[in-house]
Amino acid sequence: MDISTETDWECCWERDRIAMGDCPNIGEGDEDLLLSRSRRFLEKCCECDNFKRDMIRFRDSGHPLAPVFSILHADYRRRRYQIQSLASFLDTKTLEIRFLHELGSVLQSSVDLDEVLSVALTAITAGKGFGMNRAFLLLVDKQQNVLKGHLAIGPRSAEEAGQTWQEIESGDLDLQGLSRLFQKDKLNAERDKFHDILEQLVVPLEDEQHLLVRALEERKPLLVTDAFRRPDVDIEFVRALGVDSFLVLPLVSRNRRVGVIIADNFITHRTISEQDMQSIETFSFPVAFAIERASLYERVQEEVGKLKQANQRLQEQQEQLVRMEKMALVGRITSSIAHSIRNPLMVIGGFARSILKTTPESDPKRCFLESIVTEARQMEEVLGEILTYSDALYPTCDFWDANQLVEAGLREVQERILSQDYTCRFHPAERLPLVYIDFKQTSYCIRNILLSTIDGLSNGTIDIRTRAEGDRVCIEVLDHSRTLSEDELEALLTPFTEAREMGSGLNMALSRSMLDKQNIPLVVVAPPEGGVTYTIKLPTYKEESS
Amino acid sequence: MSKLLVVDDEANIRLLYSEELRDEGYAVETAGTIAEAVAKLEQDNFDLAVLDIKLKNESGIELLQKIVKERHDMPVILCSAFSCYKDDFSAWMADSYVVKSGDLTELKEEIKRVLAKKAQRRAAGL
Repeated sequence: MDISTETDWECCWERDRIAMGDCPNIGEGDEDLLLSRSRRFLEKCCECDNFKRDMIRFRDSGHPLAPVFSILHADYRRRRYQIQSLASFLDTKTLEIRFLHELGSVLQSSVDLDEVLSVALTAITAGKGFGMNRAFLLLVDKQQNVLKGHLAIGPRSAEEAGQTWQEIESGDLDLQGLSRLFQKDKLNAERDKFHDILEQLVVPLEDEQHLLVRALEERKPLLVTDAFRRPDVDIEFVRALGVDSFLVLPLVSRNRRVGVIIADNFITHRTISEQDMQSIETFSFPVAFAIERASLYERVQEEVGKLKQANQRLQEQQEQLVRMEKMALVGRITSSIAHSIRNPLMVIGGFARSILKTTPESDPKRCFLESIVTEARQMEEVLGEILTYSDALYPTCDFWDANQLVEAGLREVQERILSQDYTCRFHPAERLPLVYIDFKQTSYCIRNILLSTIDGLSNGTIDIRTRAEGDRVCIEVLDHSRTLSEDELEALLTPFTEAREMGSGLNMALSRSMLDKQNIPLVVVAPPEGGVTYTIKLPTYKEESS
Repeated sequence: MSKLLVVDDEANIRLLYSEELRDEGYAVETAGTIAEAVAKLEQDNFDLAVLDIKLKNESGIELLQKIVKERHDMPVILCSAFSCYKDDFSAWMADSYVVKSGDLTELKEEIKRVLAKKAQRRAAGL
């Protein structure tokens, strides 16, 4: 046994203190190891080549402790390696947990389906995520009972891959940032880009042998390798994907099959490991849950939208009902008053006529009688109008030709139009569908509209047009001669607002009331630059309410 | 001379109708209620009846139904302040419908027309 002095050792392990440069493994930042022999030995010497050579010399020296020391040293190194591996594993898992936490936070907080899908697919393909090259999402279509390609993400060529990955690297974004960028700029483009493949990815859920359906049924991810040669894999499906190795991740949320994600390394051809599969598997449930929740939210939103529309319709109908009730009340009151007036008026007018018949032309009081007869007749006409207003309660509807309707209205007022030197041009549309209306009432309304346009004016022009508009036929009366202010327009459609002449104050309100009862809107537009357009939209179908 | 029965709850209207229709050469009887009208119908033969529809708390339509049932050969003209009864199918049983007016021309023309029609029917043995 010949153990030499300290100068014989290549390593610095036997020295209490060393100077910087004595140990090749100690550099800047490790200065404290220069003065601590034990720490230096454990942290640096054990892995140092100089120390290994010293150990060989020690073993060769035949010292009885040499074999024991070798055993201890080897065991120490093995354990140290194990600890390092565990620490590395721990670091990896910590990163994974952080990533999953980040992913979970985003998925939990979002109810926007596009956002959820963007996050899920970005997480699979991003380098900071699971680092796969491409991901395809297939969703369950319950109506057609199939799994259907919905969205894909990833490059389609090496060139595109290089460009995209460079962009991502320079952007230095976290997962949320990446997914937002994807949703904002690329979601629709990616859908279009993979349209041809997505179209081919349709798998009937009844096909229980299909590996995607199998993965869904078994709720386990599948790592498919050598797919072109596997008898249990649909060759057309693999051809559509264009890779022979891929990962199938079923998305199942609370026993409900949501869809499947297929991930591959189409560009790098990196082998997909069991570790990759396990990592991605942990992420399948939150994704499935988030997709289901977002889909449900989307459906709820749709239903809310429908409800809002229904509510709005209900509100409109309620308002219309209130309006009609008010009109009906006005009608009942006016009818009652008119009836009470009519009998005495008839007696006054009747007896005045009787006396007039026997009164000679030369009688100075004859003109008084004539005045009574004329005024009584005029009042009877007004009363007739008021009673017609209160009569218009229940329209009798049938299918009619809208052009004939206009012509009927025009015939009734033709004489007045000509007498006031008005020009009335009718432009009937051809091949109009029949309209479901009360002909008499609607024709009366058109007559009233025409009379209203020529009332108090002469030498004007009216254009009347008919046209089909959706499931309605529009009749448009354009009065070029009149200009109405907002107040005048309001007054035109409100009964008894025109004090000058009671009859004309009622006509348009009566028309609107009659049309309202048939659910026919009457729109009157009077732009400040002049002209008044009356539009009525007649239904071409039977309405329950009419 | 044709004999007419005028039924109206308003005395002044009964008077007006009587005066005017007598001037036209008709014999006119009047009634203010359904009971009065029924009594007169039972006592006499009339060629035509002019009925008001609203008779205070009674309905001229009821009297119309009674006349159609028991005296179906006697034509009836309904005369009312309400034009809406024109579209009431229970009023269709009447031979004519006239809206009340101080100008009795329309009523007089209708009376002539309906009586002429009645005469034609008789002549044809119907």
